Amino acid sequence: MSERRPRIVIRDLAKTFREGGREVAAVQDVSVTIREQEFVAIVGPSGCGKSTILNMIGGLVAPSAGTVEIDGVRVAGRVPGNVGYVFQKDTVFPWRTVARNIAIGLEYRGVARTEQARRVRDAIALAGLEGFEEAFPATLSGGMRQRVALMRTLVVEPEILLMDEPFGALDTHTKLDLHAELLALWEARHQTVVFVTHDLSEAITLADRIVVMTRRPGRVKLVHDVALPRPRDVIKLRETDDYAHEYGRIWHVLGEEFAGRA
Amino acid sequence: MTRADHRRVLLWRLAILAALLVAWEWLTGIKAISRTPGLYWIDPFFISRPSAILARFAYLASGQVRLTIWQMALSTVQSTLWGFLVGVSTGFAAGLVLGRHERLARVFEPYIVAFNSLPRIALVPLITMIFGFGVLAKIVLAWTIVFFIVFFNTFQGARSVDADLIHSARFLGASDRQVMRTVIVPSALAWTFASLTPSISFALIGVVVGEFLGGESGGGLGYLIIQSLGTLNAADMMVALISLGVIGIVMALAIKQLEMRLLRWRPEYRGRA
Repeated sequence: MSERRPRIVIRDLAKTFREGGREVAAVQDVSVTIREQEFVAIVGPSGCGKSTILNMIGGLVAPSAGTVEIDGVRVAGRVPGNVGYVFQKDTVFPWRTVARNIAIGLEYRGVARTEQARRVRDAIALAGLEGFEEAFPATLSGGMRQRVALMRTLVVEPEILLMDEPFGALDTHTKLDLHAELLALWEARHQTVVFVTHDLSEAITLADRIVVMTRRPGRVKLVHDVALPRPRDVIKLRETDDYAHEYGRIWHVLGEEFAGRA
Repeated sequence: MTRADHRRVLLWRLAILAALLVAWEWLTGIKAISRTPGLYWIDPFFISRPSAILARFAYLASGQVRLTIWQMALSTVQSTLWGFLVGVSTGFAAGLVLGRHERLARVFEPYIVAFNSLPRIALVPLITMIFGFGVLAKIVLAWTIVFFIVFFNTFQGARSVDADLIHSARFLGASDRQVMRTVIVPSALAWTFASLTPSISFALIGVVVGEFLGGESGGGLGYLIIQSLGTLNAADMMVALISLGVIGIVMALAIKQLEMRLLRWRPEYRGRA
């Protein structure tokens, strides 16, 4: 892993927000390097600024101090190219059908119609959305809408994928389905992924490396390498001793953060 | 609602209409009622009666008059549609631009509020002075009303576009223009459409008021109403009013259909278009 080139370099990142005339530190002294093809999860209690870190990587929020570089270029207040972002909130366009939602990124890039149709067809098959091509999002379940959002992002083939609790609003069963699908898609392309979640089992299931954050102001508490072989079976994985071992180790550390709160 | 329910409602509506027409015809035929104090207006002179209205309608529809009811109705409908179209397109464009440019909106705000609080009818003489007694004046009047209805709705819509939708479009590679076309316009349109049904009704009001003053060259059903007032011809006035009612209903229904087609992605319209 260590010989792979760094893609996202975060140095001394900090963010303070103004809250009723007071400066509130959300993130402090965060330095992480994410390498090519690496799947990194950021875990922490809610309000620890993990989504803020993601937003700074994506250029949606400007850092108060420190820098984020993607491929050696500093991210400064604008959305970097070649980066896909999947939001926790439902961001599929409600006025477009499933097929036209998935096609939108290709449309923006001026990809030819026939090529668009082919890639959309493949994406729909991959996500198991056959038969819903012409459906409007309002008629779909939350899980299906998030599948559309994921495929819409992947269809333009970003090399870096930022995911902000994308499955946070889904029930456990749907969540596991989507974990399996995401892992299969990732095995095929090996994008560099930064995945924010508060769900530790989700982080262990998906990631190569887990960054555990402290409570607000969020600092890096622990960086943990997940020693689980790939490809992973999201269901069977949870029955293994290795999984339990990983879970126990991080839970202990994370537990300190949750406990400190009460 | 079941089919039987639907039919029952329809039957009731027809029954009420028939009862009203019969009562109208019958009561206006009884001299004693119009002599009763306070009920003087129940008289064919004031409110005419269905048989007389029908007869006048047949006469006005025939070729024996200089300006047939069809020509007048057509003039009113055409002016309404023009006022509506120009009002909707300009109101939409202005709402979109100001809705996305905070500073511009702040600069224009007092002017917009001031002009909008002006009773539009007060403008009729001025508009007539500028645009003359023709078709143009009534279109302009309808426009001044429709513009603001559509403007305020679109403005609100353009301002309340979900920021995350814009962000996700940017991450998918959208340029500023593409964000405008694929995110802001469709979001705002949902608000704009909600203003179309009131807009068409207000366009009709604007046109008819314009026709009151517009004289024969402007034509239209509003002209027939004013002319009937001059000749104290209640039957002609009723013909104009009923025609306006029918036109109003048909146009509002057409707009509703259009709205349901264009907003079929919204859950509340699902399966109704």
